[in-house]
Amino acid sequence: MKILVVEDEPKTGDYLRQGLVEAGFVVDLARDGVDGLHLGETGDYDLAILDVMLPQLDGWQLLAGLRRAGREMPVLFLTARDQVEDRVKGLELGADDYLVKPFAFAELLARVRTLLRRGGRKAEADQMLVADLELDLMRRRVTRGGQRIDLTAKEFALLELLLRHRGEVLPRSLIASQIWDMNFDSDTNVIEVAVRRLRAKMDDGFEPKLIHTVRGMGYVLEDNTE
Amino acid sequence: MSRRSESITLRLTLLFAAVSTAVLLTLGLLIGNTVEQHFVEQDMDQMSGKLRLAGHLLERIQTPVALDALPLQLDDALVGHHDLAIVVRSAAERTLFATPGASFPPALLARNAVRNPPRPQVWQQDGPSGAQPRRGISALLPTGIRGEPPVLVAVAVDITHHDHFMASFRRTLWLFVAVAAALAGLLGWAAVRRGLAPLQAIRQGAAGITASRLDYRLAVDAVPVELAELAETLNEMLARLEDSFTRLKDFSSDLAHELRTPISNLMTETQVALTRARSPDEYREVLASNVEEYERLARMIGDMLFLAQADNGLIVPNREPVDLAAEVRELFDFFDALAEEKALQLSLTGEGQVSGDKLMLRRALANLLSNAIRHTPEGGNIRISIETSAGGIKLSIENSGEPIPEEHLARIFDRFYRADPSRHRSSDGAGLGLAITRSIVQAHGGEIFLCPTTNGVCFEMHLA
Repeated sequence: MKILVVEDEPKTGDYLRQGLVEAGFVVDLARDGVDGLHLGETGDYDLAILDVMLPQLDGWQLLAGLRRAGREMPVLFLTARDQVEDRVKGLELGADDYLVKPFAFAELLARVRTLLRRGGRKAEADQMLVADLELDLMRRRVTRGGQRIDLTAKEFALLELLLRHRGEVLPRSLIASQIWDMNFDSDTNVIEVAVRRLRAKMDDGFEPKLIHTVRGMGYVLEDNTE
Repeated sequence: MSRRSESITLRLTLLFAAVSTAVLLTLGLLIGNTVEQHFVEQDMDQMSGKLRLAGHLLERIQTPVALDALPLQLDDALVGHHDLAIVVRSAAERTLFATPGASFPPALLARNAVRNPPRPQVWQQDGPSGAQPRRGISALLPTGIRGEPPVLVAVAVDITHHDHFMASFRRTLWLFVAVAAALAGLLGWAAVRRGLAPLQAIRQGAAGITASRLDYRLAVDAVPVELAELAETLNEMLARLEDSFTRLKDFSSDLAHELRTPISNLMTETQVALTRARSPDEYREVLASNVEEYERLARMIGDMLFLAQADNGLIVPNREPVDLAAEVRELFDFFDALAEEKALQLSLTGEGQVSGDKLMLRRALANLLSNAIRHTPEGGNIRISIETSAGGIKLSIENSGEPIPEEHLARIFDRFYRADPSRHRSSDGAGLGLAITRSIVQAHGGEIFLCPTTNGVCFEMHLA
């Protein structure tokens, strides 16, 4: 998967590139709007991450230029301004997602993966499996090692979210927004408690442990023994 | 309309001068007329006397021949009255007698124009020293001759002296009025200046007020009654300014403090980590700990941006119907795990719909609920009730536990204000939650306050 990043702030640009490369993407970094547009027009990218405030050509103009050139890849905007008008403008121009700086890198990764999955999404399986954990989406049932586990509706939704993003670190803010629709900086203690309770039900007493805390980042579900 | 209005001193001075001029002018006109009237009456007295005299003489004339003696008798009667002119004319328009040089306007000499009582007329007669003013009357007087129609007698006096006097009198009067009006204006100006002196004092006092001297208050007792209210209003304004300013100062120093603490943590932690080589796990630990501080900082900056936008009226809520009970139930669901850990009972009664921004209202309610959960002791309860009335929606959230001490009540919604200083920088927010909640409620045109409760804490929010 090839990603175009256009960011003029040198440190941010470098770390975005490093982070995305380490997450397994191929990344081209442009430092201004003109270079960005040139790369976008000539290269073949699966996704573009654009800063709104850019020298020479701002993010909006860059996006308009890409669309004129027939480039239809999904676009994610980064902005320092938390203005509703910006959001509306971006979505009208055909941006696919929007992140306000400062953001958690895990959140950016999660959104990038979601955007890349979109379109090319395979039909969802009715069942999801990790190690001996089995999630039956049709019957809303969870078993571990053949043993039935009772989960509340929210716990089920949380486990499903972690499973769908298996191996990806999910930040607390993303979990709050996806499961409880809390789209603001809410009490993140709530997520900790919720994850702890979910773990108590489906990890305690079982091996291997599947839900892991990544300090400073969030939570990830994976089988480390694989 | 932005034109600056005239100075009060100028306006009052002009008003003073105008009023005194008008009064003096009226008085002058009144006196002038009275004096003139007096002269007219005096002339009339004199002329009527002469008419009566002529009447007596005429009554005594019994035969037409006796008429010839009339001029002689009249001459005798007029000895010494040089300023008098008399003409006597018979019905046949024959002049029976005329003083030398006497000339009357035709209106007085026409028999059919004679009025009873006589009406005085004024005219100019050419004399040796130019035109001289005359006042005269005429009357028809019967003679003693039987069957003879009355004769016409016209009398006139020279009123040159009176006119001279009146002219000089009027000159003096106008001069006096002019001088008096100027004087009144001057006095008015002085009086106004004196009267406005307290304003000047207030101005000087106000000029001395600076950010560091907001405690200055105008002496209400020292200004006149009319200005006392103004002074009081200014003092109240100063009090409000001082209060806001103090809050702002506190806010700035709190802000600096709130920023300095995490940054100092970050610096120390990182520098200590760099003092020697460490294992990857140790580095990871430091970085993870740093991220937590960064997140706290980012959250605080985001909150402050929100508050700054609210202060500038930039927070414009969407207007959509919001089911408050449904929002509260969603929040209960969100906080459920946390509440259960502390064995708290969450309850909701009533319902209501408001028009507002769903995301913002949810944030406001989340802050209140999160606060309540934090401050309720284990096993306590949190009750939310929604009431709909004609005036709008009332939502109250009450939790059991320790009431907020009296001294904190006034500042509970202030930024960075924490009722318990020892709770500083605990796991929860930076003390901006209630300020944000209030900003959101106010942006919706509502209000929020602490409501009295016997034990525990109760917030009440009113929305339209």
